[in-house]
Amino acid sequence: MGVTCVCQVPLAEGKSVQQTIDILHKKLEQLGAVKQGNFTVDCETYHATGNASGQPTKLLYVMHNSETPLSCLALFEGGPCLTADGNFDVLMIKLKSHFQNAKGHKVESRGSRYRYCDFLIKVGAITMSSSARGISVEVEYCPCVVPGDCWNLMKEFMQSFLGPSIPELPSVFATKPEGLYVPADCVDTMTQYLELFSKVRKQQVLPGTTR
Amino acid sequence: MADAMNVGVNLEAFSQAISAIQALRSSVTRVFDSLKDGMKNKETLEGREKVFITEFQDNLQSVNRDLNELERLSTLVGRPSESHPLHNSGLLSLDPVQDKTPLYSQLLQAYKWSNKLQYHAGLASSLLNQQSLKRSANQMGASAKRRPKVQPSTLVLPPQYVDDVISRIGRMFPDMAIELFRPNGTSAVLLVTLGKVLKTIVVMRSLFIDRTIVRGFNENVYSEDGKLDIWSKSNYQVFQKVTDHATTALLHYQLPQMPDVVVRSFMTWLRSYIKLFQTPCQRCGKFLQEGLPPTWRDFRTLEAFHDTCRQ
Repeated sequence: MGVTCVCQVPLAEGKSVQQTIDILHKKLEQLGAVKQGNFTVDCETYHATGNASGQPTKLLYVMHNSETPLSCLALFEGGPCLTADGNFDVLMIKLKSHFQNAKGHKVESRGSRYRYCDFLIKVGAITMSSSARGISVEVEYCPCVVPGDCWNLMKEFMQSFLGPSIPELPSVFATKPEGLYVPADCVDTMTQYLELFSKVRKQQVLPGTTR
Repeated sequence: MADAMNVGVNLEAFSQAISAIQALRSSVTRVFDSLKDGMKNKETLEGREKVFITEFQDNLQSVNRDLNELERLSTLVGRPSESHPLHNSGLLSLDPVQDKTPLYSQLLQAYKWSNKLQYHAGLASSLLNQQSLKRSANQMGASAKRRPKVQPSTLVLPPQYVDDVISRIGRMFPDMAIELFRPNGTSAVLLVTLGKVLKTIVVMRSLFIDRTIVRGFNENVYSEDGKLDIWSKSNYQVFQKVTDHATTALLHYQLPQMPDVVVRSFMTWLRSYIKLFQTPCQRCGKFLQEGLPPTWRDFRTLEAFHDTCRQ
């Protein structure tokens, strides 16, 4: 587990989601990256019922990552989070009375996984109810565990294939004091994905995207 | 018989003997052909029998003649010369099943290869001996009066002294944590943790650094049975490169009479890696070159360079 950065890539001029993804793949392959399979990250939303009226309903997000296929993560936005094994989904079904599944709000990012030297790059298409909403790129630098140390290094790497659209330091790292390292259970990665998915959910459907 | 000993193989008689064999074969074939054909068609039974017997006798006599000729020639053909240079290995070359067990040709190749290897090794040793590579203080026994087995003084140090030196060096550098183990006898094995960047295992022989292996901070240093794993390489290419550089460093820092200075210099050099991911290369100014950060640290100035950027 290394330092991970998740960001959204805007579509290229006049190109569709798939075409932009193909452009990114070609750039990665030109650099010398090797494709190593596929990845999936998804997020389901549950409304917490049984709250006193007047309080906003709390939303529980249950996320899965193909990098850790045997576990899933449950978290409240900005609140506590829980790492559980795969049977947690079944548990949520049993807790139907307390948590309602918002079926139309499932967001997932699916795509290819590339490896370049010590970097892991995942380029995926974000879809919500089978309509493409954008492109997510996750870059992980495996040897380093302190985000503050290698941020410049990662920025340079992302610039080499993303061009000018490189992100700022993720807020997850900015809130931690300098020098605290990334824990091994990818909570930080999933938090970043959650922020990205929430942003995508609020966006309008992209013009010109087909089913 | 006389010329058999002196001349060796008589080639003329040899070719004659081969044609005599061919003649013998054809006459024997004729005998069996005539038997197979049986009696020829003639008017009377007696005539037929007579002709058949005459033919058969002729054939048998020709066989006899050819056999006698062959025996005569075989005595003329000499034995192969006694002074065979190949001895036992030459007998291998007579093996008829050459395709399945090409022993002789493989034997020749192996011999040529080992000859070449010996020659190259001789050249290499003469070149290497020009520069002394011994890192320990050894007294070369020149006169025969001295005992040949003089143990170098710096190789036999009490373990307590080694422990003291290591703990003193550990206190000098606050961001390096040095743990000392002695899993195999008196050789010390150090586990050096540098900040949150890397972990190094240094295998020592009294106060000389023998071997080092560098792994990432989040990698496992213990093997399955709980002992320190001193053999498996790191999973990350950057730390594999740093391991190579560390091996170069331990060979570079040499001072046979004062090994504790050597250890201190090596630890100072290793400490410069605390900013492995933060420093750009001094030559090209970039962080990454082929996906690797600047992994080389100059031995004197401790500046960071990419492996491909150092001069």
